[in-house]
Amino acid sequence: MTLHEERFSYIFAPELYERLRWFVRLRWWAALGLVATSLFGPALGLPGAWPALGVVGGFVCAYNVFFRVALGRREGHPGGLRGLRACALRQMVMDLAALLVTVHFTGGMLSPLLPFFTIHMALGTIMIATRTMHVLATVTAAGLLGEYLGEASGWLAFHGIHPEVTECGRACDLHLVAITVAMFGIIYLTDSVTSRFKRRNIELHHAKRELEEQAARLRRALEDIRRVEDRKSHYMRISAHQLRSPLGTIRTTLRVLLDGYVDPASDKGRKFLEGAVERVDELLAIVGDLLELAKVREGLDRAPWTRNVNLNQLLADIFDSLEPAAEGKQVRLVPDFEGVAVLEHGIPPDLVYAFENLVDNAIKYSEPGGEVVVELRLVDGRARVRVKDRGIGIPEEMLEDVFLEFVRAPNAKRFTREGTGLGLSIVKEVIEAHGGKIWAERREGGGTVVTVELPLRGDPRPRSREGNGGVTPEELPS
Amino acid sequence: MPGKRILLVDDDEVFVEAVRAVLETRYAVETAPNGTEALRRVREDPPDLVILDVMMDHLSEGFDVARELRRDEKTRGIPIIMLTGVDQVYNVRMEVEEDWVPCEKYLEKPIAPQELLEHVAEVIG
Repeated sequence: MTLHEERFSYIFAPELYERLRWFVRLRWWAALGLVATSLFGPALGLPGAWPALGVVGGFVCAYNVFFRVALGRREGHPGGLRGLRACALRQMVMDLAALLVTVHFTGGMLSPLLPFFTIHMALGTIMIATRTMHVLATVTAAGLLGEYLGEASGWLAFHGIHPEVTECGRACDLHLVAITVAMFGIIYLTDSVTSRFKRRNIELHHAKRELEEQAARLRRALEDIRRVEDRKSHYMRISAHQLRSPLGTIRTTLRVLLDGYVDPASDKGRKFLEGAVERVDELLAIVGDLLELAKVREGLDRAPWTRNVNLNQLLADIFDSLEPAAEGKQVRLVPDFEGVAVLEHGIPPDLVYAFENLVDNAIKYSEPGGEVVVELRLVDGRARVRVKDRGIGIPEEMLEDVFLEFVRAPNAKRFTREGTGLGLSIVKEVIEAHGGKIWAERREGGGTVVTVELPLRGDPRPRSREGNGGVTPEELPS
Repeated sequence: MPGKRILLVDDDEVFVEAVRAVLETRYAVETAPNGTEALRRVREDPPDLVILDVMMDHLSEGFDVARELRRDEKTRGIPIIMLTGVDQVYNVRMEVEEDWVPCEKYLEKPIAPQELLEHVAEVIG
């Protein structure tokens, strides 16, 4: 099976670059060896063209500098496999040429350096395409043959390195054949080993990448879980605090009565008891809203309640039910409906809760004599309901936060103690469970506009409890 | 006629009345429903002690009032007792230790009447 290494350039290119750098480092030693041999050869009393080896060593040094600089330019961005392989080929050609010359000056086919051809073939096969190496081996073998024939015919001088050997004898034929077979053999062996390693390398690389992706996915999932856990814990803590606060007041009040600071039978004592009952009612309201919120967040069991909902009718019914409260506060309720909005899949009790809450808030935070306008429009397949009041308004920085659990704007708290801070969270849950959006704005000239947009078609999506940190009634602290 | 004056700052009027009934056995008690009103009253007529609820209109309104009182030369010497919900005690302790909110005591809500009187007595006698 052919391995198309170019396709996996991102794996092999950086590796080949490193190998080429190593190859250059190795070459300094080869050049040094040649120069050293040239210097110390005569001292050992051996015949041979020692000065020529020094020249070859210098030549090797020179082209190695060139390759070192060329590789240095690629530092940090080795480029594609093709370019690097061309660089490796150039190095290999220069090395083989230098080796051919060196072999000639160290005994030709009797040279002790002949095995270095096989080393080069092995190194070349690791770095360059095997086909190219076959060509290189063929050219090298031809070069050796030419050298052998030249020396045998006397056209080239024979430079033996043993004093008793002055010409290349019959053994040289065998050396030539052996080195040629060795070169092709080593190419074949190296190729069969490295191609297997290269395949494993690709598999490993892909497995590593897959593992990293999986690890990243797991990390993200873990972060999500942590966030949900944090949110749940925060929600529990703040719920507990909200419950504890009135409980603390009730306890203090009862303790004051029981310890005799105030006579329970006196008018003041009675007032204290009424205050305690007021806080008990507050507790009940919070518990009721917490249950409502949990119910909406669970969502799933609400699906059978889904039906067509006529928003005009629903809003008109809410007007009827809130009319007494509005009258009591001398606030006028003004309907401003255009068109008929029928939601295909609505959950009537939830929608009643949501819109009743919005209109009730508008009445609650209006001054006597004010008016609350409820506007209904059909916009791009959506019903848009805007509840507009001229009440105390929401501070700019709290426009988003008022939809969070237990958040009430300071001016609202000052205006009336009544309110659990959960109403708008429930409303938001209901609207989002219907695929809609809700937001609050400050109204020009004072007051608030709360806008709700609901798609006329589409299922109310079951809300996942994890998504918003809601808790079920069973999970609430008992 | 009780001599020392305490300003009790809390937005829960039922709690305020209950605590007032206890403190009034020994001290003159005035009340304020929020931080702004508290600062106004302290500046107008400095009391001998301020008892501050931490969480009023804002989450840490009590802290803000305490810091403000300590910043002002005229109110710096007035002792402060912070009253907190039990889950806030840790936060308050942190802030007190970090010297962000200098106060004489921080007490958990709810608190037994006798205990409160003892703490107040420790601070202002």
